[in-house]
Amino acid sequence: MRFKASIQNITTFTKLTASLASLGPIAWVRLNETEVRFTVIPEQGTQVWAVLSINAIFDDQYSIQSAADNVINLEVPLNSLQRALKSASQATAAHIRLTKKDGLPLLALTITTSTLSSTPHPTWGTARQQTGFDESESTIGEFGGGRERETVVTQEIPVRVLSPHQVDGLHEPRCREPDVHIMLPSLLQLKGISDRFTRLASGAKAVAAPKLEMAANMHGCLRLRINTDAMNISSVWTGLSNPELDPSQVEGGEEGVLEHPSTKMKRLGSADGKTEEGWAKVRIDGKDWGKVMSVGRLGGRVIACFCDDHALILYVYLSAEEEEGRDESVLTVSSPFNLRGVAC
Amino acid sequence: MVALKFTLAPDAAARVHDILTCLARFSETVSIEARPDGLSFTTLNSSKTTYASFTLDASQFFSRYKCAVAGGDSQVRFTCRILSKALLAVFKGRILDPRGRDSAIESCEVSVNDTADERECRFIIKMFCNQGVVKTYRLTYESADVMHALFDRNSAHNKWTIQSQMLKEYIDYFGARTEQLDIYAEDDRVIFTSFTEKITNGKEVLKQPLRTAVSAHKADFENFDAQDKIHTIISVRDFKSVVSHAETLKAAVSADYSQPNRPLQFSYGAEGIYCEYTLMTSGDRSAPPPITHAGPSVDRPSSRTRSTTTTDQQNKSRSERSAMPPPPVADSRSAARRTRPPGSAKPTPSVLPTEMTNANIPEDPDPESLFIPEQDDARWDPAEDEDDGETLGWDASANYEPGFQATFKDSGSHPTSEEQHSATEGLAPTQRLSQVRGLW
Repeated sequence: MRFKASIQNITTFTKLTASLASLGPIAWVRLNETEVRFTVIPEQGTQVWAVLSINAIFDDQYSIQSAADNVINLEVPLNSLQRALKSASQATAAHIRLTKKDGLPLLALTITTSTLSSTPHPTWGTARQQTGFDESESTIGEFGGGRERETVVTQEIPVRVLSPHQVDGLHEPRCREPDVHIMLPSLLQLKGISDRFTRLASGAKAVAAPKLEMAANMHGCLRLRINTDAMNISSVWTGLSNPELDPSQVEGGEEGVLEHPSTKMKRLGSADGKTEEGWAKVRIDGKDWGKVMSVGRLGGRVIACFCDDHALILYVYLSAEEEEGRDESVLTVSSPFNLRGVAC
Repeated sequence: MVALKFTLAPDAAARVHDILTCLARFSETVSIEARPDGLSFTTLNSSKTTYASFTLDASQFFSRYKCAVAGGDSQVRFTCRILSKALLAVFKGRILDPRGRDSAIESCEVSVNDTADERECRFIIKMFCNQGVVKTYRLTYESADVMHALFDRNSAHNKWTIQSQMLKEYIDYFGARTEQLDIYAEDDRVIFTSFTEKITNGKEVLKQPLRTAVSAHKADFENFDAQDKIHTIISVRDFKSVVSHAETLKAAVSADYSQPNRPLQFSYGAEGIYCEYTLMTSGDRSAPPPITHAGPSVDRPSSRTRSTTTTDQQNKSRSERSAMPPPPVADSRSAARRTRPPGSAKPTPSVLPTEMTNANIPEDPDPESLFIPEQDDARWDPAEDEDDGETLGWDASANYEPGFQATFKDSGSHPTSEEQHSATEGLAPTQRLSQVRGLW
């Protein structure tokens, strides 16, 4: 079993890991020849399925080998991975590989950084393609003054290798067709407001887990509301966009679109969000929502799909503009709300 | 019979704060020793594996310094012990804070009157603030002998010196919760490895802290003259404390050591402050041999050669080795850690937080604002959930207030412990307490 790659997009990887880490301590990572899949299924709360094409994170030197059709399943502690990647933020190069030490599997992240900026010698900044440090360094050293040295940091993240049958049961949650799908406004703004609401509600004593009510209609409106014994606050966004369904992606084609719940919802409600009709609502845990919002750091487009009284699914598209189409890396965050305790 | 009085400029008071912060990470109490030529703060941790000493030069560090005795004996000294928490509260971080104008001080005057007719042991600190406000603190001290660790520099043939900023960069790579640091040199590289000894197998494997190896070039050191291929292991936590303090002085840190299982000394100095740490090391981690104490070495052969310079000084004044002070009794920090039989060596495990991470969390400019300027990735973290169980112990950051992490300050009224509970314990409550209690 071999896995070796060089990380070309450290920022994306770090931000992705940070987003996942806020939802659960452990991720199941499935690596194959074309994509990387991260799955976080905490005991309660929100599940994440993130599928990224290899080159969203790694570069062409990606190599993978295993007895099971070149698929490797790993269980990775996200906090350690995040911590390890953090030290790569200033790196000139970073490599990751699966290895073993004392019989225990681990992901070794090797990070090469230039020496600290306060080094009295000005030459360090001319980033040289990193090779082995040995020979090249010594020749430079002979000229004196050429102190372009590198510090090599190795972070070893303990992992567990999962056998194929251990991950057999893992499948993306299925859910009925959504009633409303809508493009969310800036997540930073949304997070700010929902965190504020959550705080206000938890500020009132004895409310352990404040529930936010999220609702959206097919006329570009999104409503965020918190309702406690003492107060009822809501914020409404209007003028958001409801993406059109692509008939080729919907079961039943054109017909299917016509019969789609969202088409029916479109006939109800209004664009100013003032009518009570046409909203698809879910109630979600405020704190859990705050964690979900942390995917905003990835800066992707986010489409929220509301299944009225049932579930909220967020699709986060990472490689937004450059690559329209299939190659997109999708982060699916599905949040079963727990009014009826239905898990998707 | 000693009258001690000294005055500190605001800068110096801030330095004292840095020193106390560092000392507080080793032990709950700090020992103070005043001599005519200077003042020193020392501490020995409860497992007696680490000794730290900060010597402040009378003429260079203080605005005014006087340590006098009635008889005019030049060998006079005054020693006492104070709770570091109490002292730290007095010198808290705002002293130099440009924003906190009201709390900024103009000078700080400390006096102790240890005379026969003085019945109370009081360490009196007067902070002269702006607008003529004078804050007076009277701290109770305990008269105590001060112990100094001996370190034999003559036999410590391994030496290296490096800028503290470099070391700071290295420790920033280290993951949280690791316990030990291995220093190892080979060829032209020096490798600092932060690691934790194996925990259990199975599911626990994933909880094993990161193992981080930082491989630096020897040329990054100001000088490096140490034997290759020996593993010297110290406590990461101690190392981090040393580096964090050295970094405040922007000093170059020197390390002197002989061989594994013998003490290692870090030293550096600047601005009239001279700092020394004597740490116990352990050996090759594959087969750790029994470890002796670094502390006030009781009848250890190594103390036969008295070392030079400052150590000499200390030898003179050192209360003789007969009475080793008992470890602080109710040491809550050590109680919070894993308990270890007192004799069982090893550098103190640093289960304790890496205060560094706390210190690194940037303070939110305006926590109330919904729209914060974009630049800071941390803001995407879920609100109120920053706590990863690492807030135990002293905060290394300057704002030494009960709220520990700045990120907590607007997090409503939830105690964090409760939060952790709800996070780790399965189902969230689905009903409001107000509904449950409807009958009352």
